[in-house]
Amino acid sequence: MATTAGHAPVEQHSGPEQKPHMNASLMAMLLFIGSEIMLFASLFTAYFFIRYGVANETWPPLKQDGEPFELPVILTGVNTLILISSSFTLWWGEKRLAAGDNKGLIRGLWVTILMGGTFLLIQLNEYAHLGFTPQDRAFSGAFYTLTGFHGAHVLVGLIVLSLCLRRAYKNDFSHAYHTPLTAGSYYWHFVDIVWVLLFFLVYVI
Amino acid sequence: MATHAPAPAHAPGGGHGGHTHHEDPRPVSYWWIRAAYGTVAGVLFAFLLTFLLRALFGFEPLWDGGVYGGVAGLIGAIGFLWGIGCFDYWLGWAKGADISEEDHSFHGVSNWKQYFRVNTDHKVIGIQYLGMTLFFMLWGGLMALLIRTELAAPGQQIADGQTYNGFLSMHATLMIFVFAVPVFGGIANYVLPIMLGAKDMAFPRLNALSFWFLPVAGFMFLASMFTGMFGAAWTAYPPLASQGTMGQTLFELGVQFAGASSIATAINFLATIITMRAPGMTIWRMPILAWATGVTSVLAVFATPFIAGSQFLTMFDRIMGTNFFVPDQGGDVIMYQHIFWFYSHPAVYIMLLPGFGIISEVIATFARKPLFGYRAMAFSMVAIAVLGFGVWAHHMFVSGMAAWLRVPMMITTIIIAVPTGVKMWSWLATLWQGRIHIKTPMLWALGFLFTFLMGGLSGVFLGIVPADIQMSDTYFVTAHLHYVLYGGSVYTIFAGLYYWFPKMTGKMYNEKLGQWHFWLTFIGTQLTFFPMHWQGLQGMPRRVADYDPRFETVNSIETVGSYMLGIATIIFFYNIVTSWKSGPKAPWNPWRGKTLEWMVSSPPPLFNFDAVPQVVGGPYQYGIPDARHAVVFAPEEFGGELKEDTRYPVMVVANETLTSQTLIDEIRSRNADGLWSFQFIVPVGDGDRAISERRLATTLAILAEAGVSATGRVADGDVVAVATEAAKEIQPHELVIATLPLAVSQWMRSDSVDKVRKATGVALSHVVVPANDARALTGTSALPLVMVVATEAVGAEALATAVRTRADAEPARFTVVAPLDLPEPRWGAEANERRRAAGEAMTATINALVNTGVAVDGEVMDDAPSVALPLAIDAYTPSVIIIAGINGEAAALADAAHAAAGDTPVETVNLGAAAGA
Repeated sequence: MATTAGHAPVEQHSGPEQKPHMNASLMAMLLFIGSEIMLFASLFTAYFFIRYGVANETWPPLKQDGEPFELPVILTGVNTLILISSSFTLWWGEKRLAAGDNKGLIRGLWVTILMGGTFLLIQLNEYAHLGFTPQDRAFSGAFYTLTGFHGAHVLVGLIVLSLCLRRAYKNDFSHAYHTPLTAGSYYWHFVDIVWVLLFFLVYVI
Repeated sequence: MATHAPAPAHAPGGGHGGHTHHEDPRPVSYWWIRAAYGTVAGVLFAFLLTFLLRALFGFEPLWDGGVYGGVAGLIGAIGFLWGIGCFDYWLGWAKGADISEEDHSFHGVSNWKQYFRVNTDHKVIGIQYLGMTLFFMLWGGLMALLIRTELAAPGQQIADGQTYNGFLSMHATLMIFVFAVPVFGGIANYVLPIMLGAKDMAFPRLNALSFWFLPVAGFMFLASMFTGMFGAAWTAYPPLASQGTMGQTLFELGVQFAGASSIATAINFLATIITMRAPGMTIWRMPILAWATGVTSVLAVFATPFIAGSQFLTMFDRIMGTNFFVPDQGGDVIMYQHIFWFYSHPAVYIMLLPGFGIISEVIATFARKPLFGYRAMAFSMVAIAVLGFGVWAHHMFVSGMAAWLRVPMMITTIIIAVPTGVKMWSWLATLWQGRIHIKTPMLWALGFLFTFLMGGLSGVFLGIVPADIQMSDTYFVTAHLHYVLYGGSVYTIFAGLYYWFPKMTGKMYNEKLGQWHFWLTFIGTQLTFFPMHWQGLQGMPRRVADYDPRFETVNSIETVGSYMLGIATIIFFYNIVTSWKSGPKAPWNPWRGKTLEWMVSSPPPLFNFDAVPQVVGGPYQYGIPDARHAVVFAPEEFGGELKEDTRYPVMVVANETLTSQTLIDEIRSRNADGLWSFQFIVPVGDGDRAISERRLATTLAILAEAGVSATGRVADGDVVAVATEAAKEIQPHELVIATLPLAVSQWMRSDSVDKVRKATGVALSHVVVPANDARALTGTSALPLVMVVATEAVGAEALATAVRTRADAEPARFTVVAPLDLPEPRWGAEANERRRAAGEAMTATINALVNTGVAVDGEVMDDAPSVALPLAIDAYTPSVIIIAGINGEAAALADAAHAAAGDTPVETVNLGAAAGA
């Protein structure tokens, strides 16, 4: 193929304009999220190896003191609903911005951030009352690693959304320009979806 | 040392295509002092934080060096990155400070010190990457030499077992994580945006951060020498890695930083390739290096998180006391190997695919042929990447993993040989019947083909389960991986470094030293690693400091080979340092490459292109005289597209070789860049001025016919004096000197080419023209062919004079045809004698004409004019026929010619009677 195209016609104008093929920033965010998905995949791999290893004995596995690990499914279920809802409030804020309503965006971001913060606080409270530490058996290490990594991601998401909120107060976003906001919301949705998976795979089944 | 002077390509002192450039005024020392403060603050903060947390949660004991060290390493590194200035722009954005996306104050360098601060210019970052990774390569190489010294004889030489483990772990870790993986990022950083016609990478500041992760990672590895070297090899399998010193924690942290660097760069490359291509640069017009970098980046983005995960888990086991790899607490050590190899097998392709891309560029350029199977090359890389995700467990056939996984992994492993074979055959097919130029980059490419093939073949052995069970953890594996990584990474890196060295530095490297470097490395590689196959099959285990005395001979041979590699490396560094400092100036396009980076200056201007180029064809159209890959435009103040009068002058110096096909092809191929106008300077020396005039007229006519804008003049005097004088007046971008080969060239014997190079200080290309080409009738010339028919006149001075007069009147090529009316029998003595005499006479005439600058050949024909002329006219299709007769024979010849000529005009010249031979 390389040999055939000899003289493609050159359009006559003074230097072509370089048109962006797509938004590079959003694409980079999607690739980064792909990378993050693989990070969680590696941690889930570890979790399943450990789970498979102990499942031959009993499930849920036993702590070092001989009691089974127990996870607060109901409370965390409620917490899961809070986090899922925060995705929708963020989406609503973006819709308001698209309609030209910057105030609406600010409201949406505030609600989202508060819900995310609530989620984190409930998680920390859960850690305090679980009754086992990461140094217990391998299962507890996997549990804390997965939820801890996710918590760190929620924190990063909250920081990103806070920065967006600050920008929103300065009226920096508009119908035409909202790339940082969109990138942040991709990240937030990703954090939520990972949590749903985590909740299902670690708490429920 | 030369720097990336922010000189625009087109107008000294002119604008930069819309960018204004003000350099950040703060000196380099400012940033380093800030970095030192940042590091210390980070470390202190980490100690405080760890202390408070341990006190708060009641950890015993309060002091644990490993824990404090780990946290301090992480936060100290972040403090360093802040101090050096990686986060300033983003923090400014977060604070709402007044920042501008068009702020280019961290772009480009004006002196060599500037390479030691944060820079957003992809070219500077590329050089930073290369400098940093080569520095780590030196350390890794030093470790290899220590390993080989220890293994020179059985028993203990210089190191005990634990230290030896440290050597080999450090060697592999440095070579893999901070040399082989990122060095390609350096090369691609430099050339890829230019190849794509972009002004920079998509995210220049992220690019800078990616680079600064690297020294953090590398120096963490190196720092472990002071804390007790990590000794669990680069694979760091638990439970071995769960023990060990603080160095092991530093290893785990360093890998995180190297991985983050890798992911960030990969995202940047993908965004650049997808969104920053110049107009017309469809994905099927991208150079293969862009394909290779893109595919590699996909691997890096999606595989690297797995090694991050694996190192997080071992680190948590080490410093937090989790039990991931403690079997009696429900942990699983095989799990580590699965996660680790899910990255580390694709990592092999991260270290190979960019090299494949480089080799494709080099082979196509130096074989002067279009790359064979462009699309197959691209698709095979995609196939390798996809399959690469499905073979990880072939590293674990003896690990005790699930047995059913073995055979599927064996099958996928062996299937990878298919796309790799496609690439191998495509390279060979590119070489097939190419005009191969053995320059240093090409030597490395050919060395790659051989060495990598060896590694690939032993890889098939190792992929087969029963063979692998026998050969696991023996020197056979060591041989295999070094053949693969030496061939696939080191050789391709050197090929790329030599290939783009003129572009990066604006200087030419020393070709002779480059070739020494190659041959020493090549022989050293074979000497060091080939015997390891045998050793491994005999059962010598790898990663052990001592061995059975029966392996002594081969081991000492291998040690000698490794010292050769060390010497070769010294030659390499000497070459690049001295060449960069004081090498001859490099032209824009020393290799006559077709891709876009060769259409900008060496080194390229600050923003690569003054106006976005337009791509119009494929990147490898070698051998197609006027094929264009892209059109490079002048800045707007010059009126956009380059016009005849804005073209840059190239000065061509030649005399004897002026009319050769080689030189004319060279000029035509340069002309296809659309950048140049050509000024011929013909130094007469002690020759005849008229001859030079005649050659120049012929050449200019041929070039004009081919649409090349060229002028020229003949100048009296010695070549060095004439060229120096003319260069002052013309101010050319490049000098092209064409000479005959060394043995027969007067200019070469008096060392004129080097003298001109030194006297002018202009980038110079030397074209060597084979002696027979310089004398031959220019084959593809569009000049009119004049057929001279003569019998008795052949050999007479009058004929030569007549032809010369004709040539001076109008440039043309000539063929002299002498039909012989031989007596019967034609094989008789008399006929033979006449044939011989006619041949001699013809030779004399042609020599007389060629030596005086006329393009001519000739033929003695065995038939009477009435028979021979129709045949000759049919064969030569001349545009004019001249009948040259003496002693009144012209009339008879003219009759025969008229009869055969058809529409072709026939002229008659009567040379008179007395002009006998």
